[in-house]
Amino acid sequence: MSTATAVAEPAAPSAAPPENPMSFVEEINHLLYASKGNPINTCIQCGTCSATCPVASGGFMDNSPRRIIALIRAGFKEQVLKANTFWYCASCYQCTVRCPRNIDIAELMYGLKRYTVWKTEHQEGLIGPVFSETFVKMILRTGRSYEPVLAPTYMFTYGLPEMIQEATMGTALMLKGRLPLLPARIKRLDNFKRMIKHIIPLGDKE
Amino acid sequence: MKSYAYFPGCSLEKMAHSYHISALETSRALGVELRELEDWNCCGATAYFHVDELLAYTLCARNLAMAEQQKLPMVAPCSGCYKNMYFTREHLRHDADLAEHINAALAEDNLSFSGESKVHHLIEVFVHDVGLAQVKASVKNPLKGLRVAPYYGCQILRPRKQAKENVEQPTFFEDLVAACGAEPVPYPLRLTCCGGALIITNREAALSMVRNLLESAIQARAAVIVTACPLCQVNLECYQKQVNKEFGTDYKMPVMYFTQLMGLALGIPPKRLGIGSELVAVMPAIREAQEAAPALAAK
Amino acid sequence: MSEAKQLLIIDDDPDFVAGIKSILVKAKYAVDVVHNPKDGLQALKTKNYDLLLLDVMMGRGAEGIMIARKLGKDPKLRKLPVLIITGIREQMAFLFPGQAVHPSFVEVDELVEKPVDPKLLLDKVASLLKTAETRKAKSK
Repeated sequence: MSTATAVAEPAAPSAAPPENPMSFVEEINHLLYASKGNPINTCIQCGTCSATCPVASGGFMDNSPRRIIALIRAGFKEQVLKANTFWYCASCYQCTVRCPRNIDIAELMYGLKRYTVWKTEHQEGLIGPVFSETFVKMILRTGRSYEPVLAPTYMFTYGLPEMIQEATMGTALMLKGRLPLLPARIKRLDNFKRMIKHIIPLGDKE
Repeated sequence: MKSYAYFPGCSLEKMAHSYHISALETSRALGVELRELEDWNCCGATAYFHVDELLAYTLCARNLAMAEQQKLPMVAPCSGCYKNMYFTREHLRHDADLAEHINAALAEDNLSFSGESKVHHLIEVFVHDVGLAQVKASVKNPLKGLRVAPYYGCQILRPRKQAKENVEQPTFFEDLVAACGAEPVPYPLRLTCCGGALIITNREAALSMVRNLLESAIQARAAVIVTACPLCQVNLECYQKQVNKEFGTDYKMPVMYFTQLMGLALGIPPKRLGIGSELVAVMPAIREAQEAAPALAAK
Repeated sequence: MSEAKQLLIIDDDPDFVAGIKSILVKAKYAVDVVHNPKDGLQALKTKNYDLLLLDVMMGRGAEGIMIARKLGKDPKLRKLPVLIITGIREQMAFLFPGQAVHPSFVEVDELVEKPVDPKLLLDKVASLLKTAETRKAKSK
């Protein structure tokens, strides 16, 4: 698929327009209401973000950051949510510091990750959401990160050969004393867990 | 003596243990006291922000509140932790509703955030608080002739903290390397991302980014890359084998922490700096440079 | 007949909001809508509402919880009935399968999950408004 055709496609009519339609760009602006940068409507499509992005310029994103912004503004919600762009963002913030319109593009990428996680609408087969989930669960259980717990994430995406390679490196690091044998735990874990419940309101186990 | 509340972060417990011990050794040698936070928790890395930023702020705020209890500024050696702590403090200081919400949660652990404790990266402490002049004056074993690629990576500099901050042409890392007597080489990709967590979530992209960084350092004829972040170090060093396999290259580039480089210059024995736990040995490059140095000086 | 009851919806999902708003308007309620927590707090400060319909996951995270807690601390707004409408259970299931969601955020509240059945929505709204009326009468 050439990149040009997708942009030229007319907007697929979604459900009948709601009574008071809020465009997708407004929805995204509300999502980023607390962000300091300019709203994305002020984008001039200069392409500095895409040229500066080490992942996009390496050809690894299906849609460049500039294109994602254009798609949002044109209301192509489905295409935006199913793009891999934000899941392949490494959070290096080079786009953010270089944007001549002061748009916080890296924050937009975080926003889109959250949005698709909440609504479970992200592209299938991505490892990013699985990794985030595993990581978050781990910290909420122990308060600290523990690398070996993350290992199963590899298997799903990369398969056995990659897993063995990972294990080989793991063994090399283990021999050098660089991998922990047991997960660390914080001491005041009960307080910590109650603290978390204030933010994400879980009840007690039924 | 200047004291800091020290937040090591999860990587430094094991994966980057050499960064931890070399940070403590160099600090001690330069009259800086690092008091480890007693019951610190993970900063949330990048994963938390994918799910709930309020949760991410809460995790960071707990650590910041503990530093406040000690009445000390916080120092983090990991660039990722540093960025998260720094900006959590900023957000909470400028959003009273947010701070109130998070403080209600912190009360469960008898803590409260006020914003008292500033947040620093460890490299800032040496460059600004100790000062390059004192670093230079403390050097016992100048690393003459050692060609070093100073790798800034991302999150020490970005996102921008002050409007006038020089995020495009910084020089403090080069200056620190020079203060150790080593030779900073012009390293074109010194500000380009190592791929970060993409090494897990998009291996292909990350390996290609790592390759570019290694290639750029070799083009600059660097003998060693020096980093200020455990994730950068692991990506650049531990994945060299995979890079070589993937791209048919033959990189054997040592990648060390700036605290290890400083420690050597300060005359601390390599073992006490955790040198020897790396997958690509550092010492041959150091020795080679030191052996060539007298010859260089004689010329 | 007395004046129409004033309802406020704080929710960032435009399609969902359009749906429930039209149901509520048809049932003769006066409905205001805002799409982020900041505008929500502003609206609550500037106008008196009889009921709040509140989403949970907005903006940076579970910001609906932040609003609910803030209301709980405000002596005037504490009595405002809140109907929490959320897909949070999905979110929770994603993180912690099998765990229950917190039963109550504020003094007077109820929780329904998206998508909401129109009849259930109207029933909940009516019963929350009635409970609030009864309380008010009692306190007088």
